[in-house]
Amino acid sequence: MKVLPDRAHGHRLRGGGAPLTPYLFLLPYLVVFVLFRFGPVVGGFLTSFTSWSIVGAPRFVGLANYAALARDPLFYTSLRNTFYFLVLTAPALIVLGFGCALLLNRPLAGRGLARVLIFAPYAMMSAVVGILWNWILDSNFGLLNYYLAMVHLGPIPWLSSEAAAMPAIALTTVWWTVGYNMVIFLAGLQDSPPQLEESARIDGAGSWQVLRHVIVPLLRPTTFVVVMLTVINTFQVFDQVYVMTGGGPGTATLTLVQYLFYQAFQTFKLGYGSAIAYVTFAFLLVLSWLQQRLLSSEAS
Amino acid sequence: MLVVLVAVPFQQTAGAAAPMDLVFWGGWTGPDGDVMHQMVDQFNKEHPDIRVTLTTLQWTPLFDKLLTSVRAGQPPDLMGMHSQDIAQFASLGILEPMGDMVKAAGFKASDFMDVAWKGTFSQNTQYAIPLDMHMHAVYVNLDMWKAAGLPANKLPTTGTDFVAAAKKLTIDGAGRHPDDPAFDPKTIKQYGVGMMNNHHGFYMWYALLAQQGDPFLAPDFSRTVFSDAKANAAWQWLQDLVFKDHVVPVGETNPYQDFVTKHVAMLIDGPWEIPGLNKVSGLRWDTTTFPRVFAAPAAWGSGHLLTIPKQSNKAREQAALTLATWIVQHSQDWGMSGNLPALLSARTSAAFRALPGRRGFLEEQAYEIMLPDVRPSAQLYSAAAPSPIVVAAQSVLVKGQPVAGVTQELRARINAILAAP
Repeated sequence: MKVLPDRAHGHRLRGGGAPLTPYLFLLPYLVVFVLFRFGPVVGGFLTSFTSWSIVGAPRFVGLANYAALARDPLFYTSLRNTFYFLVLTAPALIVLGFGCALLLNRPLAGRGLARVLIFAPYAMMSAVVGILWNWILDSNFGLLNYYLAMVHLGPIPWLSSEAAAMPAIALTTVWWTVGYNMVIFLAGLQDSPPQLEESARIDGAGSWQVLRHVIVPLLRPTTFVVVMLTVINTFQVFDQVYVMTGGGPGTATLTLVQYLFYQAFQTFKLGYGSAIAYVTFAFLLVLSWLQQRLLSSEAS
Repeated sequence: MLVVLVAVPFQQTAGAAAPMDLVFWGGWTGPDGDVMHQMVDQFNKEHPDIRVTLTTLQWTPLFDKLLTSVRAGQPPDLMGMHSQDIAQFASLGILEPMGDMVKAAGFKASDFMDVAWKGTFSQNTQYAIPLDMHMHAVYVNLDMWKAAGLPANKLPTTGTDFVAAAKKLTIDGAGRHPDDPAFDPKTIKQYGVGMMNNHHGFYMWYALLAQQGDPFLAPDFSRTVFSDAKANAAWQWLQDLVFKDHVVPVGETNPYQDFVTKHVAMLIDGPWEIPGLNKVSGLRWDTTTFPRVFAAPAAWGSGHLLTIPKQSNKAREQAALTLATWIVQHSQDWGMSGNLPALLSARTSAAFRALPGRRGFLEEQAYEIMLPDVRPSAQLYSAAAPSPIVVAAQSVLVKGQPVAGVTQELRARINAILAAP
C-alpha cells in the first residue's frame, strides 16, 4: 500500500494540529450558514427578550414576552390548532408515503408515470397549491362539492366552517407533500439488499411477514428521517393556511407560525413574535427527542 | 481594443447628467397597478432628469418591507398608503411631515374632497397628499336583474329594497325564491348577493353603526363607545342576509369571481373592481349605493395617499415631491383604476363623470366614513386572523354565532389593544 506523504493531506494549522484544507472547503458554506442561519437564530433569541418594532432601538423587557404568551388565549388556540393539524397530517403522510413507495417499488406497468404524478404536486409552489385547492374546495361553486352533489352529498363548507377548515387544509397538505415521503421511502427500499426478502420468501414467509419482519426493520433509519422531517414540517405549517384561510374562519386554522407572522409582521411586535418562535422551537425539540427515544427503544 | 470597449461607455455618460433614480412603492397589485405603471412611464418620459421605478406588492408585506428598508437606511422615496395607516407609521417616526411640501406644491384643502384631505393628518400634522377615495357600493348584473323581473333603472338604495331584490335574485334548484314555500337553501343555484366576510365584513358593520348615528371610538381613541344594541342590530342585519334570508352564500370565498361567473347577481365591493369588470365580455353591470338600512346614509371608505418616508437626501425628497405632485395633478388618469380622485377638479371633470360604472360610488361620496386613524392601526385593522375585526366578521358571517357575544368580544379585544402602552 502506498502511503501518501504528509503534505498530501493539505496544509496544517500552526503547531502541527489538524489539517486546514477540509476547513477551507467548508468555509464557503460555514460563512453562509453563520450569516444567514446561525446569526438570525441567535438574533431572534435575543429579540425575544425585547420590545421592538423593527425601527428604533429594541427595549429590553426580560421575560415579559414569554410571560404574556403564557396568558395569551390566542397562543393556546394556535398551539391546539397546530397539534390538531399534526395529528391530521403526519400519520397520513407517513403511512401513505410508505404505502405508495411499497406499491411503486414493484415492477408494475406505468409505475414511472405513477411516481411522477404522485411527486409532481410537491414541485408546485405553495401559493399555487393554495389557490388551486381554494377553487376545488369552494363551498358554493367548487369542484369537489359539485361532484358530491351528483351523489346527493353536501354541500360541505370546506374552508368556511370551523369543523371542516382544518381537515380541508390537511387534505391539501397530504396531496401536496406525500410524494416527498414516497421518494425517501423508495430510496430506502431500493437501498435494501433484495437477498433478505428472497431468503425470507424461500423460508416460507408470506407477504405480511416479509413486510413486518424484513422490510419495516430494514427501513427503520429511513422511517426515522421521514417521521422527524414530517413532524418538523407539519408543526411549522404556514403557507397553505395563509393562502387558503388566513387563519380563519375566526381562529379555526390559526397555527403557531401563522400567529407568529401576525404578531411579528402584521402588528410589528418582533419581540413577541420571536418569543412565539422560540416556544415553537422548544416544542419541536421535545417532540424530536421523544421520537428519537421511541424509535431507538423499538430498535433495541 | 479592450481600452476602446471600456472607454466608450464612459464617454457616453460623461456628456449627459445621469437621471436621478427614484424608488416608488405602492400596494396596487390588481388592474390599478397597471394604471399606476402607465402613469409612472408617462412621468419618466416627461422628466428626463428623474427615473422612477415603481414596485407594487400587497399592502401587508409592503409595510414590512417599508420598516426593514427604513431600518437599513434605504427607504423608498415615495410610498402609497391608506388614510388609516398614517397614524401608525407617523408614530414610529418614519414619515416626513408634509404640510410645507403640500403648500409648496400649490395644493390647499379646498382642492380636495374634505374627507380625503382630513385623512392625510395625524395629531394635527399633515403627512401625505391625498390621491383618491374608495368605498363600498353595490354592483348589479343588469341581465340577471332584468331576468328576475325587477324594474329597470330602479336599483335599490335602501336596506328593505336591497333585501327584497336580493330575494328575487336568489333561486334554488326548483326555481323558488327564499320567501316561497318549500324553498330549499341547500340547492341554491343563484344567489342575490356576494360579499366579503373578512375585514370588509367589519367595514360594512362599521358603516351600519354609523347609519344609526353611533360613534365607534371615543374622540381620544382610548376605548370603544358604541352601544351594544346598535352594534348588535348592525351585525344582525348582515348575518340575516346569510343565514335567514339566504341571499348570500355561506362562507363565500371569492365574491368577485362569483359575480363575474354570474353565480351572484349583486356584489358589495369597492371601485377597484371596475377595471377588471370592464374586461369581462358579455357582463352588463351598473352600481348603486351601499344600502341605507338605518336612519342616516353612510358607507365605509378609505383613500390612498402619497407619503414621503424620512430620508436625509433633500434633493431626492424634492424629486419625490415632484413625482407626487405630478401624479395627483393627473388624478383623472388615475381614475381609470376605478378609484375616485380626491382632487375635486379631476373628480368633477366631464371626462371622469362620463366613465361608466361610477354612479353608485359618486352618489355616496358625501356619506363616506373612514376608520379612525388610531396609532395601533395594524393590530386593530389587520386583514388576517386573529385580528379582532376579522374574527368578529367571520364569527357573524361565516360561523353564524349569536351577535351579542361577538359584540362583547370585539369590544373587549379592541379596548385591550387601545389600552396597551
